[in-house]
Amino acid sequence: MERTSPKQVMRIVATGPVGAGKTTLIKTISEIDVVETDRAATDDSVLLKPNTTVAMDFGRITFGPNMAVHIYGTPGQERFSFMWDILVHRAHALMLLVPLHRPSDFFMASKMLRYLQFHASDVPLVVVGTHRDLPDAWPAEEVLPALGIEPDAGIPIFSVNATQTHEAVQVLIALIEQYQRLTQSHAKAG
Amino acid sequence: MAINYSAIQNVLQEFVTSVGNIQGASIMSPDGLALASSLPPGMEEDRVAAMSAAMLALGERIGRELSRGNIERILIEGDKGFAMVSGCTDDAVLIVLTDDKGKLGVLNLEVKQLIARLRPMLTFSKSQVA
Repeated sequence: MERTSPKQVMRIVATGPVGAGKTTLIKTISEIDVVETDRAATDDSVLLKPNTTVAMDFGRITFGPNMAVHIYGTPGQERFSFMWDILVHRAHALMLLVPLHRPSDFFMASKMLRYLQFHASDVPLVVVGTHRDLPDAWPAEEVLPALGIEPDAGIPIFSVNATQTHEAVQVLIALIEQYQRLTQSHAKAG
Repeated sequence: MAINYSAIQNVLQEFVTSVGNIQGASIMSPDGLALASSLPPGMEEDRVAAMSAAMLALGERIGRELSRGNIERILIEGDKGFAMVSGCTDDAVLIVLTDDKGKLGVLNLEVKQLIARLRPMLTFSKSQVA
């Protein structure tokens, strides 16, 4: 914990396949104008949406006087994996967004999960099923096996509509609590 | 007529071989897909494309935030040379790499001329897109 600074800054990184809703989620919860780097998509993602993030998104939300959450969104395509490296490296907590209505993306999501577990194994992680509101959305808990997550792995899963502030904030609060439990147990151990 | 990528490839190749101290040149879509390249061996075209697009997008965003107007280019200066990223057309981004002997003035001039050469080759009317 940064004891010297008056404000604690927690960095959360949101990642997941193209069109999972990373930019949308950040825009939903950020208090500031989100820093976006989207460009017209010319790959397959154009089938889902006209624009795609090519570097990162950045938003901020404050909880009380002492806590600021900085939330970063990665690009979804694997060719931008160098951005995952840059952002995940400094993250305090991670969100893996999975589009519940697109089973074809579950494999990509499981690959990203593998990546996160390898590069940031000690960082709190939640799985966030998105597009919950769509008729063909899978129940979130049924997605876990598809991602290769054991039921007893202790990874919390949420299902949200990323345009709904209260749903997105719930995920955020759960992640902050998980992070604080971890830092407190570290403090006790140390 | 469709865009002739092999002709663009030839222009890039010629640029790299004929201009002194240039090690590589590559063009990509603004969302980071490789279009044509002449790069040093061992440098992966797809990775260069994604990185260049990310750099330009982030540079443009920072330029906007800091009121720097239109961004002409992003420059990385290392002790082994320059990497310069410029917008080429609305649909294409250019990156040029020099070795450690490269001069910035020469690079600026050569990149300007290269863009002027590439621009008509990269432009096509939308109605001609299949």
